[in-house]
Amino acid sequence: MSFWRLPILLSCLLLLASGAQAAPLDRAALVADLCGDAGQMGQAGTALLDVAANGSAEDRAWAAPLAGAVLARGLACDEESAVLAEAGLDALTRAPREPGDKARKPLASLKNRSVFQLADAALALRSASAVGAREAALKTLERKPSQIPDGLLEAAAASETDAGLREQIDALAQTAALNASDPAARIRALASIAENPSRRALTKVSALTSDPAYASNDDFRRAVDAASARIERGIAIGDALATLYNGLSFASILFMAAIGLAIIFGLMGVINLAQGELIMIGAYVTWLVQQGLRYAAPSLLDWYLVLAIPAAFLVTAAIGIAIEVSLLRHLYRRPLMSLLATWAVSLFLINLVRVVFGTQNLQFETPFYVSGGVPVIGDFIFTWNRMFAIAFAIVTLTLTWLVVRKTPLGLNIRAVTQNRDMAACIGIPTRRVDMMAFGLGSGLAGLAGLALSPIYSVNPQMGQNFIIDSFMVVVLGGVGTIAGTVVAALGIGQINVLIEPLWGAVAAKVIVLLMIIAFLQWRPEGLFAVKGRRK
Amino acid sequence: MKRWTADWPFLGLVGLLVVVALAMALFAGTPFGLSRYLANAIGQLAAFAVLALSLDLIWGYLGILSLGHGLFFAVGGYVVAMYLLKHSFVVTGTVPDFLQFMGWKDFPFYWAGFDFFPYALLAAVVVTLLIAGVFGYVSFRSRVSGVYFAIITQALVYVAMLLMFRNDTGFGGNNGMTGFTVMFGWPMGTSGMITGLAVASLVVLAGVLVGCRWLVGSRFGALMLATRDDETRLRTLGYETLRLKLTVWCLSAVIAMIAGMLYVPQVGIINPRLLSPELSLEIAVWVAIGGRGHLVGAVIGALLVNAVKFWLSSAAPDVWPFILSGLIVLVVLVFPNGLIDLARLKLVRPMGPKRIAAEVGEAR
Repeated sequence: MSFWRLPILLSCLLLLASGAQAAPLDRAALVADLCGDAGQMGQAGTALLDVAANGSAEDRAWAAPLAGAVLARGLACDEESAVLAEAGLDALTRAPREPGDKARKPLASLKNRSVFQLADAALALRSASAVGAREAALKTLERKPSQIPDGLLEAAAASETDAGLREQIDALAQTAALNASDPAARIRALASIAENPSRRALTKVSALTSDPAYASNDDFRRAVDAASARIERGIAIGDALATLYNGLSFASILFMAAIGLAIIFGLMGVINLAQGELIMIGAYVTWLVQQGLRYAAPSLLDWYLVLAIPAAFLVTAAIGIAIEVSLLRHLYRRPLMSLLATWAVSLFLINLVRVVFGTQNLQFETPFYVSGGVPVIGDFIFTWNRMFAIAFAIVTLTLTWLVVRKTPLGLNIRAVTQNRDMAACIGIPTRRVDMMAFGLGSGLAGLAGLALSPIYSVNPQMGQNFIIDSFMVVVLGGVGTIAGTVVAALGIGQINVLIEPLWGAVAAKVIVLLMIIAFLQWRPEGLFAVKGRRK
Repeated sequence: MKRWTADWPFLGLVGLLVVVALAMALFAGTPFGLSRYLANAIGQLAAFAVLALSLDLIWGYLGILSLGHGLFFAVGGYVVAMYLLKHSFVVTGTVPDFLQFMGWKDFPFYWAGFDFFPYALLAAVVVTLLIAGVFGYVSFRSRVSGVYFAIITQALVYVAMLLMFRNDTGFGGNNGMTGFTVMFGWPMGTSGMITGLAVASLVVLAGVLVGCRWLVGSRFGALMLATRDDETRLRTLGYETLRLKLTVWCLSAVIAMIAGMLYVPQVGIINPRLLSPELSLEIAVWVAIGGRGHLVGAVIGALLVNAVKFWLSSAAPDVWPFILSGLIVLVVLVFPNGLIDLARLKLVRPMGPKRIAAEVGEAR
């Protein structure tokens, strides 16, 4: 007998088997087999596996307890048929009844045991209601990828509701296909793996170069090489996109922190060293809103990020106005002293928050709209928490632009920025404009704190991580222009994340600083200097 | 400016420093001598006072606020720590902790020669002048000044801190450098050594004070004040202010470096915390509290604030930041010239018309 006939024979058998499954399940025969000898029990186990893979939903639900009952010796066979002993139900009809007097509980042989374990896991994966139970079942299946029946994992993945578990099922399905005995199936599996390039896929594929088939089968080798080349290209693209995306979200936070600084600096020539602490306060207000909702209205808890927007803005704006009225108002002619005064405020706020809330990181809920993401290519995941920050920054940018360009307050801010004395002469209440602008700038910092709370850790020291970068945005962008701040924030954010993977975060900061100093040689007033009189 | 012979606060302070130094030197080892803790504290305070003088020179007399003076302080500190470690290694054979920690067999190549103090001193001066010179030249040339200059110097010291936090730079990384055993051949930590360092700090403080007094009283000092008050007018009159600013900036950096060299042997440790923007801001606070533009005020401010800090850091460490921020607000709003105002009892209303007139010159 030549060996090439064997696969044909096997596939004929498989065809027969799958043809047989199209017919409705013979439940009585299956129960009879379960109570039969070792050979019949083995057949029954295989049949249960088939039900898990290809059976109808009712059949699967009916079969689900059987394999487990056999394993636990909880199936009592009597003359009539069999009884699920623990539940006291007839195995066939599921009507309640007690087992007969001469009932015996069959014991699965060692060989059958593994079949029933597999069948139990396969049935649980398809029909268990708890995610944890399905996950445990998947773990069992993972131990024997070569024995998993065709179509089981695909069907399970199609009906799976939990996204994380579905990914695990897909991964297992690919592994199972890669380790199949048929080279054609393996090549197909390779092609489907290369569709979704990731580092995990690359390790899987590159492991195949030590497979015996890689040396002996040319088609297989070409398929492996092509798949790994395609995956590597996908990973490179994904990494580049991920870098850009992270840079964009970092730039969004920087922009929100710096736009307030830039408006205030253009208007009053004052840099607010407490801006980082206003960001921190914004994040803490967001947390307080979350905690408040938890007690007052748990059904709205998921929407705390949205509901906290007015709270974060108003609280930080109020703090900003208080700083302006109590301190900075008296320091307009002494800008250097205002640096010290705002540093005092920053010191005070950090230590106040430390005393009241402690130094540990705050725990935030992750609502559905900022959790997870869409895998795009390679290891790049379009995560919703970063998208939230970016979208938030775009909305903030639009609103700030509208306020500065289209409202009377914005008109006054621009007038005072260009020439304070002349603005005062034509009746603009400059002190009031200062106060409002300071409130606006502080409120924007509070919004930055809200936007970064799903991404970065929130503690009393957090403001320090952003503050120096936002100063550099102001220095680079020039004062009093929104466009300058946008371009500078994008530039600094992107350069930081571009250099980071090459030489590390520290080198990124050093290089950004050197570039800014060099840039100031060329344009000391920043990127987009307002044409006006030098004060 | 008054002639120095008539400048009683200045003469009094220099006299006091000399007397304290002499007394400490004479009574060392006798029952009248100070305890080791007190002598060490006086030495550290003197080092901080030198640091405050360096900032007052550039801020009080030239109107340039640096929020990065901790950088030069740390250059001095790191160089003297390198000297101490290398010297201890040569004399006693102690291998520094950070070498063992990194698993390195030998010192990195740039540590060569640091066991020879004059070379270490020269290296410190050269590095300080290089950093201060290049940074000052590019900043002053493009007329970066005021708040811009302040926040760029702050970014400079912050970046330096991040750099020093890395373990592979060969400067001890985040653990810093400690375990100094020998200085100039004598063991560290003895009461004789502590007193010696404290006396040296007091003498250097007195010397720097006299030197700065001479500088600001000279014709050059008059030009400094003129630059602070109206640089544009001075340039119109034909004076070159770039070179002047650069000279004073470099001088100030070197004085800060010397302060660092005095400070580190007395605390026995250096780590990148010395480069945190907070320390550099605190220096400005000492000067502001003591009285910006008054050398005596800067010294007294540094001594007072740090004495209170020493005392509170053991008594009530949580309270100190609140007291410091309160002090700053008080000085900024009520005593714009610091303790000098208090001395003259010139308690004016926060926003009186007289003060506006007095502050007009400062707006630039």
